[in-house]
Amino acid sequence: MALFKKKATNTNAEVDTFKSPNKLNIEPFLYLLPFIIGILIFTIYPIFNVLRYSFIEGLGHPLGKQLAERCTFILTDASAKGCDLTWGLGNFEYVLKDKYFWSALKNTFQYVLCVVPVSTCLAIIFAVLLNQKIKLRGLFQTVFFLPMVTSSIAVGICWKYLFNYNYGFINYLLNTFGIASVDWLGQASMNIWAVIIYGIWDIMPMTIILLLSGLQNIDEMYYTAAKVDGAKTLRIFFRITVPLLAPTIGLVMILNTISCFKVYSSIFPLFNGSAGITGKNLYTAVFYIYNQFFINSKYGRAAAAAVLLFFIIFAFTMFQKWFQNKVSN
Amino acid sequence: MKIKIEHLTKRFGNFTAVDDFSTTFEDGELIALLGPSGCGKSTMLNMLSGILPVTEGKIYFDDDDVTDVSPDKRGVGLVFQNYALYPHMTVLQNICFPLEIQKMPKEERIAKAKEMAKLVHVDEFLDRKPGQLSGGQQQRVAIARALVKKPRLLLLDEPLSNLDARLRLEMREEIRRIQQETGITTVFVTHDQEEAMSISDHIVLMKLGVKQQYAEPQELYNDPANNFVADFLGNPPINKIFGVAKGGNFELEDGSASFPFELCSKVAEGTKVTLGIRAESAYPVATAEEAAFVGEVSSTYAMGKEELGYIKIGNQEFRAYIASELGYKKGDAINVGFKDRGVFLFVTETGERVR
Repeated sequence: MALFKKKATNTNAEVDTFKSPNKLNIEPFLYLLPFIIGILIFTIYPIFNVLRYSFIEGLGHPLGKQLAERCTFILTDASAKGCDLTWGLGNFEYVLKDKYFWSALKNTFQYVLCVVPVSTCLAIIFAVLLNQKIKLRGLFQTVFFLPMVTSSIAVGICWKYLFNYNYGFINYLLNTFGIASVDWLGQASMNIWAVIIYGIWDIMPMTIILLLSGLQNIDEMYYTAAKVDGAKTLRIFFRITVPLLAPTIGLVMILNTISCFKVYSSIFPLFNGSAGITGKNLYTAVFYIYNQFFINSKYGRAAAAAVLLFFIIFAFTMFQKWFQNKVSN
Repeated sequence: MKIKIEHLTKRFGNFTAVDDFSTTFEDGELIALLGPSGCGKSTMLNMLSGILPVTEGKIYFDDDDVTDVSPDKRGVGLVFQNYALYPHMTVLQNICFPLEIQKMPKEERIAKAKEMAKLVHVDEFLDRKPGQLSGGQQQRVAIARALVKKPRLLLLDEPLSNLDARLRLEMREEIRRIQQETGITTVFVTHDQEEAMSISDHIVLMKLGVKQQYAEPQELYNDPANNFVADFLGNPPINKIFGVAKGGNFELEDGSASFPFELCSKVAEGTKVTLGIRAESAYPVATAEEAAFVGEVSSTYAMGKEELGYIKIGNQEFRAYIASELGYKKGDAINVGFKDRGVFLFVTETGERVR
């Protein structure tokens, strides 16, 4: 432990500045303080506040926004006296009985289960290709990483045009292969697929970057050894590259799963800020939370949904880690 | 398999790593490529394996020209300096991998791999991952993996450099044993003269990409082709006294001493020459008549039955072993005689040996 300076292990003159060898050293905490304060205010406090909100019934209803704020202030002190607010599980009850919450979960799971595997597989292929000693490698890398530095709302609007039924590029492509045009944005059942395609594209650059760094950590000598033994590209890929990249692939899949569960900003621009073409068919978990909070001003319900989403992501990620450990052993 | 190398040259841009290298390695021998770092010995090995394309020259395996043959078609087994064992595969899978590439049936390749594991004594660890093995065991697995496909030539790149001192001794004997049991022509790279001397049949000594001498270890030591070879081999390093040839005499550079030395008459008068004397080749003699020259003991260090002494001639010093019972002390005059072996004369400028 760096925080405890022990005399026995330090022989140089610096030791003298730490007079009592086993006493807690305050100095490192001072350096960390600004960061800790920031985290406490902007991360830790909101997390616990959401947890608290989720158990307050009637919050935001039928009171107006301002009144609700005043009430939470009172709640901080003691109880919800006089504000018609009570502690309870009512928010959870409402959310779990709400059919839109369940359709939001269904959409979210569909999104996660499609986007994560497909984007990871594609990203592995692209990362391996970008890792080759090819001409214009720098150019290709820039092109592939461009989506990352572009605002997702702006990009979403571009995709809206790509998905357009009459003159969108995607339908044009389908038509050249003899496939009939698909009304990606106008037909409710196709909406989710449009979002999934966009999601795959959106998540690829970060995935490729992480996988590239993983690839660059693989020692060249493994490839040389395999080549001397006569291994061909495909065998090298499946027997050496992929297994050695497995830790990075696992990391990428967990990160992508978490970020895909939070899908929201890609739906917003595609459907002018509503959840799908009918306004209700494409709720996702975060979209549901957003609507409860900002549109319906039901803070308690939003908080309850957020808490539920947290536990779903938590369980899913744990399962994923357990599964990966099992596979790697 | 016999390996013939003709005028082999490798250039990286303007830098010549291997320069006009020709030699023949006999079948079934253990050959050491020896030299200081940067002398081109690893480049040589990589050209033999086919990993590096050659710039000029030819390589023949027996009578086949393999200069432009890809590594996997040359039938070479390669052991990397860091072993390059696949960390995600078990020992057995590692050894099987070359056979898996050759699409050998599973039972057959497992049988062969086990046989090979037995040869290198790793058959107890077949189910372990390389990370669970010691350096010496990893080395053995790497050798097994290189040998399992029955290569015509085994190449080892600095095979012992990653091992600690004790393991090094053990593994070099193991390499010798495995090589003799399989009878496979083996070339290994090393910068350690002792390693090369102790196990190889022939040594190629290289310097700055140029072959200095290709000979049996003892011959290299007893009959060096030039100053560099004499300098590189031997511990303690060979003594060097710098002087000038004058009328059949060896005269120290500053003229502070002079004594007759036969070989000095074979070079032009006034040529700068270096006298190389191995520490064990100079010894005290009873009378000044038998002595090559008379020096002065400048210091002695007890080393058991012998003492390593520094003897001064003129104002240059050299090391020699002096029997401790003779009782020489600092400042004593000493009659120094030369043995027939281990005393060489070189032309200082070119390093060329005067014979």
